[in-house]
Amino acid sequence: MATIAPEDLQALKDAVHRLLGDQSGEAQVRATMDTASGYDPALWKQLAEMGVVGLVVDEEFGGGGAGPVELEAVMEEAGAALLCSPLLASGVLAAELLTALGDRAAATRLLPGIAAGTSIATVALTGERGLWTADGVDLTAEVVGGGWAVNGAARYVIHGQNADVLLALARAPDGLAVFEVDPKASGVEIEALPAFDHTLRLAAVRFTGAAGRRLDAAGPVWPAVQQAIDLALVALAGEQAGGARRCLEFTVDYAKNRIQFGRAIGSFQAIKHMAADLLLESESAISAARNAAARLAEGAPDAPAAISLAAFACADAFSQTTATSIQMHGGIAFTWTHPAHLYLRRARADAQLFGTPAVHRERYVQQLGG
Amino acid sequence: MPDTADLATISDGQLREEVAAWLKANWDPSYREGGAGQAAASGPRSAWLAKVVEARWAAPRWPVAWYGRGLSDAQGRIVEREFARVGAPGTGQDRTNLWANTLLARGTEALKARLVPALLRGEVGMCLLYSEPGAGSDLAGIRTRADRDGDHFVVNGQKVWTSSAATADYGMLIARTDWDVPKHKGISFFFCPMKQPGVEVRPLRQITDESHFNEVFLTDAIVPAENQLGDMGDGWGVLQTALAYERSVMGEGARGPRSGVAEASGEEPLIALARETGALADPLIRQSIAQVIAWKKLNALNTARAKADLAQGTSSPVMSLGKLAMSRILHEEARLRTAILGAGSLLEGPDYPRAEDANFLTLNAYFTSIGGGTDQIQRNIIGERVLGLPKEPEVDRDIPFRQVRGG
Repeated sequence: MATIAPEDLQALKDAVHRLLGDQSGEAQVRATMDTASGYDPALWKQLAEMGVVGLVVDEEFGGGGAGPVELEAVMEEAGAALLCSPLLASGVLAAELLTALGDRAAATRLLPGIAAGTSIATVALTGERGLWTADGVDLTAEVVGGGWAVNGAARYVIHGQNADVLLALARAPDGLAVFEVDPKASGVEIEALPAFDHTLRLAAVRFTGAAGRRLDAAGPVWPAVQQAIDLALVALAGEQAGGARRCLEFTVDYAKNRIQFGRAIGSFQAIKHMAADLLLESESAISAARNAAARLAEGAPDAPAAISLAAFACADAFSQTTATSIQMHGGIAFTWTHPAHLYLRRARADAQLFGTPAVHRERYVQQLGG
Repeated sequence: MPDTADLATISDGQLREEVAAWLKANWDPSYREGGAGQAAASGPRSAWLAKVVEARWAAPRWPVAWYGRGLSDAQGRIVEREFARVGAPGTGQDRTNLWANTLLARGTEALKARLVPALLRGEVGMCLLYSEPGAGSDLAGIRTRADRDGDHFVVNGQKVWTSSAATADYGMLIARTDWDVPKHKGISFFFCPMKQPGVEVRPLRQITDESHFNEVFLTDAIVPAENQLGDMGDGWGVLQTALAYERSVMGEGARGPRSGVAEASGEEPLIALARETGALADPLIRQSIAQVIAWKKLNALNTARAKADLAQGTSSPVMSLGKLAMSRILHEEARLRTAILGAGSLLEGPDYPRAEDANFLTLNAYFTSIGGGTDQIQRNIIGERVLGLPKEPEVDRDIPFRQVRGG
C-alpha cells in the first residue's frame, strides 16, 4: 500500500476534522443514533466524496490507495467525534477482505461501489460465541444443485441491517471460504440487535440455504480474513485513541471550570491525579495505534505483535478514560444529556469487537515467543 | 388504652405480650395492600397506619406527648420484632421516618402539630431539596435563596437529584438566607410546599435510561414562616440532624444487577455466570471472581463488626468505609461481568438479561461512587475525620458567601 506525504496526511486529517466538527457534533450524533439505520446518509456521502470511505481501496477500483497510517489518522477523528457510520464494516473490514482474497472479478464487481459509498458491505464473521477467530465461525456451506448454499447463524455483524452486500465466512467441505450473499435473497434473515452502544449497529444474520457466490482465494482463506481483521484492529485502535483523547479533553476542561469549595475542582489533587493518569493512558493509546499502523504499513515482521499491543492498550485506555471521566464529572455525567456516557458506551463496544483485551494480551505474549 | 406512662417501666416480657396481644386483636394481613413507600390518605395500608399511630406503636421511643411511649431503644427493638413477626408495617418510625424525626427535633410547634401525625400515618409525600447544579460535593455552596417577606419566605433557585418530587407535598429545603456571612452560617431549613405555581418539577433522565430523579425549579415559591426548622442561619445544623437520620436507615441499599436473574441452583451468581459462558476455567476470571466475592464478604464482616461496636456504645471507623468499599465492589463486579460475557456484553435490553446486568451495573455503579458524596470526597472525609489527617485548605470557609467564587 502506498503511503502519502506527511503534509497530505495532515491535510486529510484536517479535512475530516472539519467535516465531522460540522456534521458529527453531539446533537447530530444523538439524532443519528436514534434512527433505525444508525448513520447519516448525507454525511456518509460526504465522507465518500472526500475519499474517506474508499481510503484503503486500491486506486484501480476507485479508492484512495492509502494504507493503515492514513486510515488510523482518519479513525482518530472518527473516534473523537463518535462518528456513526458503517465505515469500519464496509470501507475497512469488507474492503480489505476483498483485497486480501485476491478474487479480481469480485474486487472489480464490489470494490468500486464500496469505495464510492453507494454500496455498503459487511462481513458475517463470528457466531454466537463472538470470537472473531477461525474457530468462532459457525456458518457452513454446501453445494446444492450446482451452486453454494450457506447455512447457520452469524452474530455481531456490524451494520448488517444496512448491508447491500454480505460477505459470509463459512465452512465448506474443503475448508473455510468466503461467500458473497445478497442480503435480500431468500434464506437470509437479518435481525437488528439492540446494541448497548447506541452509535453502533449490530445484527444477527440467519442463513437458511441462502444462495452464495463463492469467492476465489489465492491461498488459504483464514490469513486473508486475519489481514482484514488486522486492518480493522488498526482502525479501531485509532478510533479508541481519538475517542480517549477527546474524552480527556472535555473532562479536563470541566475540571478547570467547575467550581466547588470556592476553587476549580481540578485544583484538588484527587482530580488532578486522575487526569494525569488518563493523559498517560490516552497518549500511550495514540502511540500504540500509530505504531501498529506504521508497522503494518511497512509490512514489518513484528506488525502482528504491534497490532495486538494496540488492540488491548487502546481498548483499555478508552475504557478507563471514559469510565474515569464520569467519576471526575460527578452527578452531571450521570445524566443522559451529558455526552460522557456516549463515549463510555462506545469504549465498551470497541473493547469487544474483533476480540477482547484478554484475547489480545494472550496473542501478544504468544507473538513475543511466550 | 393502657396507662402509657407506666409502659416504660414494664419488663421486656410484659411489653412483648402487650404488643403481641394488640397485634393479635388488630392486625389483618389484608391491611398490607396498597403501595408501601407511597403517600396515601386512604386505603387499607393507610387505615392500618392510622391504627398504629393511635395505639402509640408508630414511634414508641418518642415522648408520650408526641404519639410515643417513651420506650428505650432496646424496648423499641422488641416492638419492632413483634411487628416483624406478623409482617405488620408501621412501627419503628422513631428510627426510620426521616421526615417525622427531623420535624419533631427541630420544627415549630405549629408545624409539628399539623404534620407529625400525618407523616407517621404516611399521608404526606416528601422529598429532599438539597443538591443544586452548582452545589454537589460542596453542598454548603448552595445558591437557592429564601427572602423573608412578612409572614412567609420567597424562594428562588434550582434543586437537582430530587426523587419523588412530582408526588411530594413538601420538600425539605435548604436555602441561603444570609449572603454576608460564611457559607455554612447563612443557610436556613424549611418544609417547602411542593404543590404551588412557583415549583416546577422536571424528570431527569439518567445514563441508565431510568428517571428516578428530578430537577426542581423554584421561582418565587412561597414558604410560610412557620415551616422553618431551626433558627435563621441554623439550617446547616438542622441538615446534619436530617442527614444523620438518613444515614442510619440507608445501610446496605446499593442496587446490584437490574434484571435480578436468580440462580436456581443457589450458586454464587458470578460463578454461575462464568460456568454458563464457559469462562469458569479461565484462571484470570477465577482470580477476579474470588476478589469480588472476597470484597463483598469483607465489607459484610466490617459492617457487622461496626454494628456490634455501635451496639456497645463505641463508634467504629469501619462505618465510614462501607460506601467506599461498596463503590469498589460494584465497579469491579461490572468489569468482571463484562469480562465473563465477552462479546455478549455488546447488547442490552430485556432479551439479553446477562448483558443488561453487566451494562446496567457498569452505569449504575456511579450512583454509589458519585451519589451521596463522591469517592474522592469520601476519601477526604475518612482521611480527615477518621485518621485525623490535616484538612485541605479551605479558601471559602471564613469569608462572606457573597465573595465566594461560584461556577
